[in-house]
Amino acid sequence: MTLHGGVRQAFERVLDPADVLSDPVKCRAYECDGLTGYRVRPDLVLLPRDASQVAAAVRVCHEHGVPFVARGAGTGLSGGALPVADGVVISLARLKRVLEVDPVNRRAVVQPGVTNLEITAAAAPHGLYYAPDPSSQQVCTIGGNVAENSGGAHCLKYGFTTNHVLSCEVVLPDGSVVTLGTDTNEQAGPDLRGVFLGSEGTLGITTSVTVRLLRTPESVRTLLADFPSVASAGDVVSDIVSAGIVPAAVEMMDTLAIEAAEEAVHAGYTVGVPAALVVELDGPVEECDAQFELVKAICEKHGCTRLHIAGSPEERAKIWKGRKAAFAAVGRISPDYFVQDGVVPRTRLAEVLDRIAGMGTDAGLRVANVFHAGDGNLHPLVLYSAAAGETERAERLSGEIAELCVEMGGSLSGEHGIGTDKACSMPKMFGEEDLATMHRVRHAFDPDGICNPGKVLPTPRLCGERPGKYKPHPLEETGAIERL
Amino acid sequence: MTTTTTLRPADLAEVRDAVRDTPGRLAVTGAGTAANWAGELDPVDAVLDVSALTGVVTHNPGDMTVSARAGTPLRALVDELAEHGQHVSLDAARIADGATLGGLVATADSGPSSLVYGTMRDLVIGVTVVLADGTVARSGGHVIKNVAGYDLAKLLHGSYGTLGVLAEIVLRLHPVPQRTATLVVDAPLAQAAELAARVLEGPYEPVALEWVSDGSGRLLVRIEGTDEALPARVQRLREVLGGGDEAAGADDPWLRHAELTRGSPEAAVLRIGARPSVLPALVSEIAADAATVGLGTGVATVSLPPHVVAEAHGRVHAAGGTSQLRYRPPGADAAAWGPPPSALPVLRALKTELDPDGRFGPGRFSPWM
Ligand SMILES: Cc1cc2nc3c(=O)[nH]c(=O)nc-3n(C[C@H](O)[C@H](O)[C@H](O)COP(=O)(O)OP(=O)(O)OC[C@H]3O[C@@H](n4cnc5c(N)ncnc54)[C@H](O)[C@@H]3O)c2cc1C
Ligand SMILES: Cc1cc2nc3c(=O)[nH]c(=O)nc-3n(C[C@H](O)[C@H](O)[C@H](O)COP(=O)(O)OP(=O)(O)OC[C@H]3O[C@@H](n4cnc5c(N)ncnc54)[C@H](O)[C@@H]3O)c2cc1C
Repeated sequence: MTLHGGVRQAFERVLDPADVLSDPVKCRAYECDGLTGYRVRPDLVLLPRDASQVAAAVRVCHEHGVPFVARGAGTGLSGGALPVADGVVISLARLKRVLEVDPVNRRAVVQPGVTNLEITAAAAPHGLYYAPDPSSQQVCTIGGNVAENSGGAHCLKYGFTTNHVLSCEVVLPDGSVVTLGTDTNEQAGPDLRGVFLGSEGTLGITTSVTVRLLRTPESVRTLLADFPSVASAGDVVSDIVSAGIVPAAVEMMDTLAIEAAEEAVHAGYTVGVPAALVVELDGPVEECDAQFELVKAICEKHGCTRLHIAGSPEERAKIWKGRKAAFAAVGRISPDYFVQDGVVPRTRLAEVLDRIAGMGTDAGLRVANVFHAGDGNLHPLVLYSAAAGETERAERLSGEIAELCVEMGGSLSGEHGIGTDKACSMPKMFGEEDLATMHRVRHAFDPDGICNPGKVLPTPRLCGERPGKYKPHPLEETGAIERL
Repeated sequence: MTTTTTLRPADLAEVRDAVRDTPGRLAVTGAGTAANWAGELDPVDAVLDVSALTGVVTHNPGDMTVSARAGTPLRALVDELAEHGQHVSLDAARIADGATLGGLVATADSGPSSLVYGTMRDLVIGVTVVLADGTVARSGGHVIKNVAGYDLAKLLHGSYGTLGVLAEIVLRLHPVPQRTATLVVDAPLAQAAELAARVLEGPYEPVALEWVSDGSGRLLVRIEGTDEALPARVQRLREVLGGGDEAAGADDPWLRHAELTRGSPEAAVLRIGARPSVLPALVSEIAADAATVGLGTGVATVSLPPHVVAEAHGRVHAAGGTSQLRYRPPGADAAAWGPPPSALPVLRALKTELDPDGRFGPGRFSPWM
């Protein structure tokens, strides 16, 4: 079945016909997100211009039983925006206005297609910023961030998207429009905004988001420290935390990641060291200075072989550039790689990294690590060569690593989501009753099952398929975004 | 009159059995500190009292997470965590009265420091819940960063025992600050709001910023930090406030603050959320007898005669805010909820999915559900 008959006309009645794409060539641009191994060409792509058009389009879907998938910038790494065959993609790319910046109440109201960084840009003149900072922040949209409950390097101290979104206007799968959440943390009744946050586009489409803005901290201190082992770097992280310090960010890289990053951007990292940490503190100047001294002492106590303190904003930017470039840079030392995203309790970092190294050796593959150490969010990169026939082995190793995280008391995903990619691993983390309850929640929002079906919760069809090989996202190829 | 059965399960399996094997309508009760909050309960066939469901299940000091049974009083947990220099960053007034973890989540409670740490929803990272048909469902886990599956803890947050029984709760912890200080400035509400705005505009990082009124008005500003750095920060804060006394030991203004949020036996207590900029005018308009006003959070708790509650709900709603009854004097007829939110159909659908026979907490969301 295709949608080109009466249904298409129904969409053309509520949208400008030019905003209803059916040309297979044009639709191809929407066939995958950042998980490029999975591709499905949608029958139709809709480009509504405002919230009422989104609602009208969803109502048509509802009337005709047509499945729909919301799409922001398509940078998702778990196949959340993967189209459904015989369904439509609803792109929010044209809803990109900042509707309000309210410095007095420190919040902003934006349309879903506004990028993460544009919110901070709009807030900056008031000395404010939007805290969650995914590495894709230049291009990913707030709608996608809401759907994925996105994180970033600074989420250890400041929390995730869910802690910074006050309310969302949402088009439900029947086309009705509701507001979830309020202007403050207070709301009457269950926290439906909190349920919607991180639901990966399966409960509705958000058409307007009210976010909390924070005051730019008075002082920021950043250091880069080298260590003789991954374990000693891990101990530093534990000691910082048990000293009662909550850093703005703590990032770790291992030998391979350092080597790749340094080759790519020459950020001043020491090639050959087993581990490096980037630690950042922010806050009132007195507090920041006092705690920074303590962090330096902790690094030294654990045999730090080099301590480099950013002496200027430029130097700080350089340290971060190295960190943020690490993913893309791995492409320089390996023809192909898989990016994994799992979480372990922070105290088990050294153990899990050891296990991963062992699993890599057993599989005959290299694994590079660059990750958010402060909250135990790993991003192991499994390096392989498709040409050498290593794809399947690498894929298996990558999957085993995610499941190892669950075994260690952690999670299948810290920020990239479950999407299409890991839906089949959900039973490793959740029991039947847990998943059945999630199904009931979904059913309350979407009784007909037309809202991004097949994502998050395992379905037999999905679990029979295997993802294809990783290919760089088109935006990565142009250098517009980097993978973190 | 029939006597109500009381069930006192002591572990998860017993909660499940109690729910599955007891027919009819059930009230879930913790310590009872919020028994008169929200809508009045309709008669029930049995009361599921979770106060025996106590104790820490796991505490991982290095990960700063703890899981505990839902009937554990937060106060007890705080004592246990203090040894490790950690705490749950929640300062709701009821904690001192023995409020349980489950009750605090179910009532969406929070105190002044929600300005920085948020409410219970921001601290809960995992839950185990028993549904009306005996299903035991878990979501989240023991790591603070986790995006696998739907966040069921949020759904139970503010559900007042109507969607399921919370059996176990996993919380993220924060270090106990080395030092805290509170500056107190006598000021009427309008002036306090101006001062608060100035504090928020600068690099002072208050963790609580509240105006309290019991006769005369006072602004309370709390900051926390290290032993070395705090005195200088207090000094800077005093400069921007144009004075202010540092609260000392015995005369803790936050105790008075907590007392005011509890209200008095004959007054109704309404909890209000609105944009901070509209809140002072709104509170003045409502003509509250006593009030605490979160000038950064946008959350106020006001005491007022029961008969004006319905009108107050209306005013809050008109100002774009949200309100709920936090205390109903015995026998008083005061509306628990204001005009329904646009998402009411979703709430109803969720209730139908999770508790199709309407067993849990009948009346709590009346007249909405
Ligand atoms: C180089 C790179 C680096 C990255 N770094 C990070 C990182 O540091 N942290 C992190 O958390 N993620 C990161 N990501 C992943 C990705 O950027 C985030 O998941 C982002 O939030 C996706 O936003 P998007 O606009 O591209 O959404 P899309 O990929 O278009 O969609 C993602 C999901 O959101 C849904 N969706 C989109 N818009 C809406 C809407 N308006 N309403 C409802 N649902 C909607 C879609 O249906 C889909 O399920 C990275 C990705 C790349 C490519
Ligand atoms: C022995 C006894 C018999 C009673 N009989 C009746 C009666 O017949 N009719 C009647 O109307 N009232 C009765 N009540 C009062 C009724 O139980 C309480 O008013 C009500 O359950 C809410 O107060 P609470 O004690 O749970 O308050 P808190 O413990 O502070 O809890 C506040 C709210 O959170 C909910 N909650 C608390 N813990 C959990 C949890 N673990 N999971 C999910 N939700 C939770 C509660 O249901 C309540 O809505 C009885 C109370 C007792 C102790």
